[in-house]
Amino acid sequence: MIHKKPLWYWALTRCRGLQALLLILIVLTIFFRVFPLEMQKRIVNDAIRFRKIDALYLYCALYLGAVVLAGIFKYAINVIQGYIGQRILYELRTGLYRHIVRLPIPFYRRTAPGMVISSVTGELASVGDFLGGAIAVPAVNVLTLLTFGVYMFTLNPLLAVLSVAIYPFEILLIPMLQKRFNRLNSERVTTTRKLSNVVGEAISGIQEIHANAGYALEARKVDRLAKTLLDLRHRMNLYRYGIKFTNNFFQSLGPFLLFLIGGYLSITGRFSLGALVAFLSAYEKLYDPWKELMEFYQGYQDARVAYRRIQEAFDVEPEFPLKPSDRAPVALQGAVTVQDLMFEVEDRVRLLDQVSLQVSPGERVALVGLSGSGKSTLAMVMAQLYRYTQGHVYVDQWELKDLTKIDVTPHLGFVSQYPFIFDGTLKENIVYGRQAALLNGNPLPGDETGEPPLEEILRTLEFVGLTEDVLRFGLNTVLDEAKEKALGERIVRLRQQFRDQWSDALQDAVEFFDAKTFLDYSSVAVNIIFGYPVDGGRPCEILPLRPRFRRFLKEVELEEPLVRLGLDVVNRTVPLLRDLRDDPFFFRQSPIALEEMDTFQEIYEHYGAAPLERLPPSVQEVLLGLALRVVPGKHKMVVVPRELKEAILKSRSLFQQYCLQRDPNAFVYYSDTAYLGARTLLENILFGRLKEEDSWAWARITEAVVDLLKRENLFHTVLEIGLDFPVGSKGDRLSGGQKQKVGIARAFLKHPRILIMDEATASLDMASQNRIQQFLDGEIRGKITVISVAHRLETIRDYDKIAVMKSGRIVEIGRYDELVEKKGLFYELVHGHG
Amino acid sequence: MSWSMDMDKRDHELSSAEPTFTCELDDNVEWLRKTDIFSTIPLERLRIYALMCNRRRFRQGDFLFRQGQPDDKGYLILSGKVQMVREYRDHSVIVQDLEPGAFFGGLALLADIRRLFGARAATDVEVLYIDRETFRKILRQFPELTEKILDVMIKRIVSMEEKILEKHLHECVLE
Ligand SMILES: Nc1ncnc2c1ncn2[C@@H]1O[C@H](COP(=O)(O)OP(=O)(O)O)[C@@H](O)[C@H]1O
Ligand SMILES: [Mg+2]
Repeated sequence: MIHKKPLWYWALTRCRGLQALLLILIVLTIFFRVFPLEMQKRIVNDAIRFRKIDALYLYCALYLGAVVLAGIFKYAINVIQGYIGQRILYELRTGLYRHIVRLPIPFYRRTAPGMVISSVTGELASVGDFLGGAIAVPAVNVLTLLTFGVYMFTLNPLLAVLSVAIYPFEILLIPMLQKRFNRLNSERVTTTRKLSNVVGEAISGIQEIHANAGYALEARKVDRLAKTLLDLRHRMNLYRYGIKFTNNFFQSLGPFLLFLIGGYLSITGRFSLGALVAFLSAYEKLYDPWKELMEFYQGYQDARVAYRRIQEAFDVEPEFPLKPSDRAPVALQGAVTVQDLMFEVEDRVRLLDQVSLQVSPGERVALVGLSGSGKSTLAMVMAQLYRYTQGHVYVDQWELKDLTKIDVTPHLGFVSQYPFIFDGTLKENIVYGRQAALLNGNPLPGDETGEPPLEEILRTLEFVGLTEDVLRFGLNTVLDEAKEKALGERIVRLRQQFRDQWSDALQDAVEFFDAKTFLDYSSVAVNIIFGYPVDGGRPCEILPLRPRFRRFLKEVELEEPLVRLGLDVVNRTVPLLRDLRDDPFFFRQSPIALEEMDTFQEIYEHYGAAPLERLPPSVQEVLLGLALRVVPGKHKMVVVPRELKEAILKSRSLFQQYCLQRDPNAFVYYSDTAYLGARTLLENILFGRLKEEDSWAWARITEAVVDLLKRENLFHTVLEIGLDFPVGSKGDRLSGGQKQKVGIARAFLKHPRILIMDEATASLDMASQNRIQQFLDGEIRGKITVISVAHRLETIRDYDKIAVMKSGRIVEIGRYDELVEKKGLFYELVHGHG
Repeated sequence: MSWSMDMDKRDHELSSAEPTFTCELDDNVEWLRKTDIFSTIPLERLRIYALMCNRRRFRQGDFLFRQGQPDDKGYLILSGKVQMVREYRDHSVIVQDLEPGAFFGGLALLADIRRLFGARAATDVEVLYIDRETFRKILRQFPELTEKILDVMIKRIVSMEEKILEKHLHECVLE
């Protein structure tokens, strides 16, 4: 286990080849460091003294050569050392993470995510930095020290002894300071982890914070920790710089002694001047390695603290092994037998007590009971998510506790009430279980190449009722260029068919693009261009800034009316929405965004009633921008006068001429025969836009679009595109119901023998719930063992068994009618719910 | 639930066609003002309701909502006629005909209920509708409106109950 190894283990066992190379380089460097000193001595004593120019040149050249080589070697040493550190860090980090994700669920109940994150990132990084130099740095510096020491000793033993005599004091003093420093540093690690937790928590709970304006409250939590950190850091600095000070102080005592005694010896003629110069240089050279050693020592201490803290934090074993070591993985058939099961958490709190339950393969069993009665706990124990303490759970003939993850997970689907959705695409989320099995070396048949076949995914979408959602994601996609090339032409060909067949029926839901009419459901800017900029970006944002476009507006006499429209929009919108700034909801139908309210309120107050001539150019520009983004059909508080609409319409063809002359490649113009790269798939099929993003408008067009896509064999293609929908962090771009459907699809796609669902359909609307129920009742009935924590009792009428739970026990068990007849707890539940 | 029994059936000269200089919002305000529920609301607040409403057309014969189904909207007819239909096991009864200006289905704005009647477009119809989430968000912003709206709604319910009771009494006497 990675976290069990001592710190030195890593430095001593990893990258041995490189470490050896490093040592060779180090020895060479040291040689090249001492060599100049000898040259120095000879320059003074030999060349200068005896006026030998040739010797001077030679010594200087050698000196220079040695210095350059020493520099190059030092560079190589640094690079290698850095690489070794990062290599080991990589191994440590991935290994630690592999350990961390396998830790049991109860561990994460008491561990905050911030602490884990800060361990794997910052804390570990300091360990890596240290490990890179763990061998090289002490080796270089001790060797350098020794060499210089020996060299000094050969020059003058007395002086040499005197100048190193001060080091022992340091060696005694510094560790004492360091020990205090370490204690503070350990506290700092704790505090930093707490800080990560608080920040992480605030981000996950941002909705709650906004809802309560809990800003000051949250800031206070961080403030407290930040203050502790400030204090700790300050005290740590006192020690750290105390160590530095001690070091420097003793170091600068040296030359003092040397001058005094060396000078005396030199005057009395017992020591050559050249030797004194060399000696002083050598002494100076002692400083660097000594300093590096000190820093190494401090780095070592920091790393030791960090490493120990990480070891302590994750010194937990996974509850279940990953793979069987002595046999092949088993294939489960779907029988589950629970016998006298007991499940306790810390403090001997008994969550399950004497639970017994027998489920044959293919049976459907429901767990019911009031909330808190232990249904979820039992479901999780049966799904091998908790390790039980006493009693037995057998799947087929195997004790669940003794099976490995690879035995169980491929055959067991678990859907929790709030399935977790990972950042990524919808597809990645749905194939999660399959993908995991593949990486674990146990792929389902057909997956060896990497992914489940598309048809299978689509079938699963259909079962859980996600098809329509995925279709919608697909239709709302703006294709990237590669896909666009492959698909564009076929889509364009659909347009005409669509028009012929559906344009009348969909008139109230769709506004078709038409060069000859004003588009109420597109912005004013789009109405002028009747196209989009090639470089991307929204026309209403980039156009007002372009002088050429402004000139055009002036030429066609649109600028003034548009600025007037902008001012009118301000006058109508600001008074309406200024009191509603605390809820972004009200700004959905507003041309002015919530963030812009301040700007526009200012304009409203200063210039609301002013004549246009009095508006400063900057305000005019802002108002022009506002007018250009107005979508008359959507922004109800605005009215675009009929004359203005006509003028805009007239400018359309002029604009195209104007641009074709000056900048023919700036815009793509809507054309009935070309794919519009900047518009969505749907808009390309319709050659128009939906008037409302409301569900009824979608319902209206879905039938038409599906019909057409199926006929042209494009339906699956669009679904495939929809599967690439990025769901956002934690699936934020999906509704609660959609997330649940994804969770169910994820479990179904594994083709499990046992399906355990914990109120898995609770956030679904009736229609979706019924659909999934139908699937469970029909398609898979008898083939899969279903254990379902039920929240709606009418859905479990014909289940094979219903287990009624109360305070961690099963108190009644039987079929629906039997239990109702019994007039016990189940009867009460039915009538309480009724 | 239909508490559209005592709908005011004044003539509405306003049409839904967009005149040159009033915006859709102003137009919505005019419509809303003429209903009993919204008439008590001060104009500047009413403009917010008017902003957050949407329009929608139904073809003749389409159902706006069906009996027994959940639906979260209140409707105001702008043009055309709507029939409230109560379905029984083997037949259905037209409970009421509604005309432009009628506001119906409003109980759904207050609570998550199932419809007691269906509403069917008797002609091509255009309605203005608001959904529960929006309606509640506005009330949350301006809690002082709650009382006024509840007042009218409760009066409507009471008057309807009265009618039902009277009818029952009548039937009992006959038997
Ligand atoms: N890890 C845990 N530590 C302590 N108590 C827990 C833990 N998990 C659940 N509980 C408690 O166990 C009881 C049963 O929970 P649960 O199985 O979720 O009930 P149900 O699903 O029936 O609503 C609850 O009282 C809950 O507070
Ligand atoms: Mg539960």
